[in-house]
Amino acid sequence: MSGFDTLLSQSSAPRASEARAVGLPNARVERWKYVPTRALARTAWIAPSPRSGNGFTLSGGQFDGVPKTAGLQVSESKLTAQETARLDAMATAHGFGLTQDALDGQRLVLDVAPSQEVTLPLKHLANQSQEAGFATLVIRVGANASLSLIETFEACASTDPNLDSLRIILSLARDARVNHLKFQAANAHQLSFHAIDVDCGENAQYTLDSIDFGSKMARSDIVVTLNGRHANADVRGLALCNKTQYHDTHLAIDHAVGETTSAMMFRNMVDGKGEATFNGRVLIRKDSQGSATEQSVANLLLSDKARVNPKPELEIYADDVTASHGCTVGSLNATELFYLKSRGISEADARAFLQYAFAEEVVARVAHPEIREQIEARLLGELTHGELIAELKDAFDV
Amino acid sequence: MLTIRNLHAKVGDKPILKGINLEIQAGEVHAIMGPNGSGKSTLSSVLAGRDDYEVTDGEVIYQGQNLLELEPEERAWAGIFLSFQYPVEIPGVKNIYLLKAAVNAIREHRGQPELKAGEFLKLVREKLKVMQMDEAFLHRNVNEGFSGGEKKRNEILQMQLLEPTLSLLDETDSGLDVDALKIVGEGINRMRDPGRAVLLVTHYQRLLDTVKPDFVHVLADGEIKLSGDSSLAQRLEREGYEGIEAA
Repeated sequence: MSGFDTLLSQSSAPRASEARAVGLPNARVERWKYVPTRALARTAWIAPSPRSGNGFTLSGGQFDGVPKTAGLQVSESKLTAQETARLDAMATAHGFGLTQDALDGQRLVLDVAPSQEVTLPLKHLANQSQEAGFATLVIRVGANASLSLIETFEACASTDPNLDSLRIILSLARDARVNHLKFQAANAHQLSFHAIDVDCGENAQYTLDSIDFGSKMARSDIVVTLNGRHANADVRGLALCNKTQYHDTHLAIDHAVGETTSAMMFRNMVDGKGEATFNGRVLIRKDSQGSATEQSVANLLLSDKARVNPKPELEIYADDVTASHGCTVGSLNATELFYLKSRGISEADARAFLQYAFAEEVVARVAHPEIREQIEARLLGELTHGELIAELKDAFDV
Repeated sequence: MLTIRNLHAKVGDKPILKGINLEIQAGEVHAIMGPNGSGKSTLSSVLAGRDDYEVTDGEVIYQGQNLLELEPEERAWAGIFLSFQYPVEIPGVKNIYLLKAAVNAIREHRGQPELKAGEFLKLVREKLKVMQMDEAFLHRNVNEGFSGGEKKRNEILQMQLLEPTLSLLDETDSGLDVDALKIVGEGINRMRDPGRAVLLVTHYQRLLDTVKPDFVHVLADGEIKLSGDSSLAQRLEREGYEGIEAA
């Protein structure tokens, strides 16, 4: 039984009946082991009623207001066989993938013309109670083009479950650059799903900053394939889980060819009865010689009931590679706390300083100053006793 | 100002301090010298409130209060400052945040008005000059990527800003070249005052050329074996700890 049964039974999509038959993934599915799927299963999800907002928005599985920007246009061509195969892989990965595929509202395909520079802010509008919105965004970034994709989330005060799910297929032609920022600060009852599949051509560069502060539950499946020499992926993430929030990121980087580089840096900060899962897998294939990867995962537990499930994985089959990795789980560093307190800083302020410092490792690297400030403001708001730091930043940060 | 009576402390099951007795009056500079592993650093850490150590016996009275009952921040509010042997790096926290937060926390407990950003900058620039430090240090993360000497200067900069009543300086001279040693030594001398005291822990005599102590104590195996005036430091330099202990 899944909370999507009614919607699926009304759908004529090719995978609807399969999705019903398979149902939602349970704890026996390794990649869904920790996901509290009860929230998905026990809500009787209904079809969304899309709204319009300012600018480019996603609401109830429908996009609205594609910006009329030079170099950006809605594609008239069909999905390529490769794009279709990538969507199929997402769909058939698990029962939720099938559900997502069957209930997909809109598939929007955008082209960024070669050598153009495009900024594309996308705002996820909050869905109404029990509404589940699914959509797919396909973006082809032409040779030597540059795209800034900035996803933000409307934070309305909803009191009931609502669901927002987006699949993104990004294809970077040679020398293309994509700077992708996701700042998820959605309402506390939202279930937020993100599946991102990135294909990097020669010398293409993909950067992702994935910031998860909001939602009752947020799941991100990110797959980056480095398919051309000198392609580079730099994926960073910060998840803040308070109360009973659950945040889950599954990230896989595939060095499909040689002389490719990648870095992943993830930070989870968990308080209350929050729980964070991070699975980061790097694959360097046998013939992908001359590749390099760096992996850094740190988890900060702030309460006795907080939980983290980190699983860094390096699979290296080539000989000539550089790889570094580190994964830590712990509470605030006692020596650092003592140092601050010995300077007269109260225990509460000292703890706030160190939590802020932990998050800043990721936040400081966010390229868009305006969004970075929003992230920092929200971060300080989330910290108990963040006021002192907010005041210091106001006074001394230019 | 400070009375230490029969202080015993251990780390894990290992006793480190085995009955320290020491009396420090306002205006005095005391140097604690001793070989490695004698308990010098433990003494300053216990006084500052580090909880890696367990006090098993004895008492410490600071300005009429039982010091051992106070949290580290309460000790700082009461005027105690520890210059760390290994200053802690805190990536992500700017030096200027720490400095201003610390200065205002201590001012608040002294009943002084909070310093505004402009007033604080004026004060800190004055102290930076004394320590011959560049203003860029303010905007770097606390001790991150600082050289050994820069870290120690940063400690003494904090001391100058916080104006402690009792300064505990734990091997502040280690890792310093001759020039930095002089700057740090002069920084400490500037804090000498009839109302303040300094407890200086050191392995070598060289800092004591700049900061002349009123008393020198030799700590060995967790006890003060010998006390004297500043000439004791020179004797130690000539004869070594073994010579003194044998005598």
